[in-house]
Amino acid sequence: MKPRLADRPDTLAWLFLLPSVLYIVVLVAVPFVLAIAFALSDVSAGDPSYDFVGTRNFERAFDDPVFWKSLGNTFVFTLVSMVLIVVLGKVLANILVADFRGKWVIRFLVLLPWTTPVALSSISWLWLLDSIYSPIDWVLRELGILGAGENLYWLGQPGLAMTSVIAVHVWRLTPLAAVIMMAGLVAIPSDINEAAKVDGAGYWRRMFEITVPLVLPVAAVAALFGAIFTFTDMAVVRVLTRGGPNDATQVLASWAFYRGIEGGDVAQGAAVALFLFPLLLAAAVGILRVVRRIEVG
Amino acid sequence: MARAGLYFAAVLAAVLCAGPFVWSLITAFKQNRDLYDPRNNPFLFNRPATPDHVLYLFSDTAFLTFAWNTLWVGALVVLITLAFSLPAAYALARLDRPWSGPLGIAIFLVYLVPPSLLFLSLSRMVVGVGLQDSTWSLVLIYPTITIPVSVWLLMGFLKTVPRDIEEQAMVDGYSRLGAFVRAVVPLVFPGIVAVVVFAFTLTASEFIYALAFVAPTHEMPVSTGVPTQLVRGDVFFWQSLQAATVLIALPMAFVFNLFLDRFIAGFTMGAVKG
Amino acid sequence: MNDDLPVTLRSRRDILRAAGLATLAASAGAACAREEGGGPTQPASTEAPRETFEDPRSRLSGELKILLWSHFVPSHDQWFDQFAKGWGAKVGVNVTVDHIDQAQIPTRIAAEVQAGQGHDVIQYIATLSQYEPSVLDLKDLVDEASKRWGSQLPLCRKSSFNPATGRFYAYSPGWVPDPGNYRKSLWTPVGFAGGPSTWDELLQGASEIKKSQGVQLGLGMSQEIDSNMILRALMWSYGASEQDENEKVVINSPETVAAVEFMTKLYQQAMTPEVFSWNAASNNQGLVAGKLSYIVNSISAWRTAQGSNPPVADDTYFVPALKGPKAALAAQHVLYNWIIPKHVKAVDNAKEFLLHYTANFASATYHSKLYDFCAWDGLTPNRKAWLESDPFGSNPKDKLKILVDAVPWSANIGHPGPASTAIGEVFNTFVIPNMFARAARGEASPQQVVSDAEKQITAIFDKWRAAGLVGG
Repeated sequence: MKPRLADRPDTLAWLFLLPSVLYIVVLVAVPFVLAIAFALSDVSAGDPSYDFVGTRNFERAFDDPVFWKSLGNTFVFTLVSMVLIVVLGKVLANILVADFRGKWVIRFLVLLPWTTPVALSSISWLWLLDSIYSPIDWVLRELGILGAGENLYWLGQPGLAMTSVIAVHVWRLTPLAAVIMMAGLVAIPSDINEAAKVDGAGYWRRMFEITVPLVLPVAAVAALFGAIFTFTDMAVVRVLTRGGPNDATQVLASWAFYRGIEGGDVAQGAAVALFLFPLLLAAAVGILRVVRRIEVG
Repeated sequence: MARAGLYFAAVLAAVLCAGPFVWSLITAFKQNRDLYDPRNNPFLFNRPATPDHVLYLFSDTAFLTFAWNTLWVGALVVLITLAFSLPAAYALARLDRPWSGPLGIAIFLVYLVPPSLLFLSLSRMVVGVGLQDSTWSLVLIYPTITIPVSVWLLMGFLKTVPRDIEEQAMVDGYSRLGAFVRAVVPLVFPGIVAVVVFAFTLTASEFIYALAFVAPTHEMPVSTGVPTQLVRGDVFFWQSLQAATVLIALPMAFVFNLFLDRFIAGFTMGAVKG
Repeated sequence: MNDDLPVTLRSRRDILRAAGLATLAASAGAACAREEGGGPTQPASTEAPRETFEDPRSRLSGELKILLWSHFVPSHDQWFDQFAKGWGAKVGVNVTVDHIDQAQIPTRIAAEVQAGQGHDVIQYIATLSQYEPSVLDLKDLVDEASKRWGSQLPLCRKSSFNPATGRFYAYSPGWVPDPGNYRKSLWTPVGFAGGPSTWDELLQGASEIKKSQGVQLGLGMSQEIDSNMILRALMWSYGASEQDENEKVVINSPETVAAVEFMTKLYQQAMTPEVFSWNAASNNQGLVAGKLSYIVNSISAWRTAQGSNPPVADDTYFVPALKGPKAALAAQHVLYNWIIPKHVKAVDNAKEFLLHYTANFASATYHSKLYDFCAWDGLTPNRKAWLESDPFGSNPKDKLKILVDAVPWSANIGHPGPASTAIGEVFNTFVIPNMFARAARGEASPQQVVSDAEKQITAIFDKWRAAGLVGG
């Protein structure tokens, strides 16, 4: 007997996948190839006509000190943010799955940073970190940590500015990480945990032998996507510092934007934005393979 | 002792996350002369509170239109995302095709290109389908950001569903498709909730595409509309901006929290039954 | 603005709006104090100029889609929308007007140019030279305007005309000056009741004010627009510039080094690290807070303070560009550029509208609360009278009269050469503010920062010169 359509895994797999794949290929792959083509061309914001120029835009980027500065900043921004987001997200997830009175309110408050559109929340932070009005400085002054009339100039000192940008980014993304990890924690069938408890496994053993391997695929994927979002994100930088002071918070995404869109040199912007593509690709493929291997094992 | 620690951690987390919103809420009702004096306590009303700046949001800006646009775009994008990514994730996680590994990774690649550039070539396509300056262009484009990550998230959740559940369902007479819909989908409910929260908020936050594709004021979502009408040259309408932030954040967090309740409740029920 | 909405949407919005207002009114019932000073909207005066209308040179029809910034005076936008629609109704053109935040306009233009579709005419507050290959040459429009109203202000002409290609990439009917704003109550005790008039007086007075009254000076060295403006003003006053008349890079000069040295001294004696952190709104807010003794800005900071903090507004006075060793020059604060992309079909509509808009520039000046100035001075005959007796509540009424003669001390970005694509990229990647900031922080010597900046600027110039857009 010929199996019905709904029972044939091969056909079904195609039917299930095709819509997503088509959607993405049409709407992303095409523009993506165009972006690579931009990086190898002389396209500018005002002149969309295409001329192939080879790797000239990359050579120009290498000659530009701001490019190297942005590259370094990008790594610092991404790595520090990701470590903080994953660690704090896990801590937060553990708090949120625990059972205590008032957890509904706590969860509501904790969700706020992620549910606010970043264009608005970073404008709020602009005032919170203001050079004169900063309420944070006001509190520090009241506590006597700062003298009367003193300010920290959060966005004016290179180290503090980077700290501020990272802090706002972490503040915004940690609740999301927590929700995703919470979902992962909640999805562990509790009978497995119960069975292990019956077997006499302690908290840490259960943590490492059951929780971590089961949560890891979700957590790793969440972390990887988070890292990529962070890498290509410039919302916070664009509102808070525009890359300043003196390019101390300039990251590749924002630098590509200032050069390519505001400065008008689209081809140069594309080269800056795509510079790390091969590296990211290798890293992402590597991590995803490891994740799959854990799952299989 | 451990309980006290838990409460302390919970309250600390709430203060760190929600502190800025408390300040926003107070600021929204402040008079200019109260706000623009750095000696004033930023967390108290040093002059009588005024609703003027909040009312300005409703009387002189299209705030409600922006909020409405964000809402319906977000809802449609969530639906599209789920309709596309659930089957795709199932196919990649469960149907054991040899090409599913590379394809999964290929879907991921979408993110390696920053939207700060992608919008240029996308704007040609938006014009090509005749959606420029329409909020519908965002409904069309946003799933490209949400589908890939949702596919991967759901794959992770699907893998925690034991295979015998489907097999049992098929033994019970369901087709493979039927087993997926009836037996598997309910079990990944937490994952679906995570996707809903994720896709909606990502959509509400996006601004580069919104900026590039939609110029008429009454078609704009919150993330471009509010700055357009409340950041004027070098003058920020601070109180009204804070009011907008709070008015968007609170309802969204409230609704998402209800969702989270559902998934935790759903899970506990399943555990009791299991 | 909502006239073209479908009825259903409009009524739904009205219901939502009513519901929102009712909820708010209820919740705000307890706290019903009114904003002292009228809140965000201030009542407008009633002596607005009469608008003129001249029949277009040809029969018009179809549509006209206009994109411009959200003016810092909200009532200006209401006036503009009505004005544009009113013109459309008279000449049989269906006009739509969109406003967006000025910071987002370049992104929007880039998208429209790439897509080959969008607005028919787009306004921006700085030079749009980078779009030259994709926009129409507006020479005929500028010629027609000059035929009607005389010669265009050179500052505007140099910010819309590319001598290397001989094309008008934009039409520039207006600009905004950038005077110094100072707090009289702070400057009077140090002997400058009339404010500083030279850079040396600024150094002397501001240092003294910081020492004796603890209030610092506010000239930005941050990656934002006001810093870009003021630092160029300082360079010109020292006889330095990015380029010469012929678009050759001449930044590496003893004059630039002297300007950098002066700024470093100014920073050390009179400023705080806040100037590295600023955005475009920071100096306005600092002035209103009473935390800054002197800033360089348009009148927007003061106009806002009139509503939000009248005592501060009354204490704020204006001075023209400060004199340096070589000159007294300030950059324009805003320079209006209107472009018509090549893909546009409604070219005649756009050009006729721009002529009509220019002819009525007196209204634009008036409704922008004397912010916008015209490139053809004859078109705003009341400007002098308004500035000498402000219709919008200045106290004293003649505070703005120093702006009557703003032209001689104002220059375009790129001075003494034209604004160009290269100058635009240097501006937008903040090379000049970073040059000054590095020296002020002591990260490198003035000589070093100037030669580093020269390298960056030369690379940008070479690139655009090779593309044929920059002369020299």
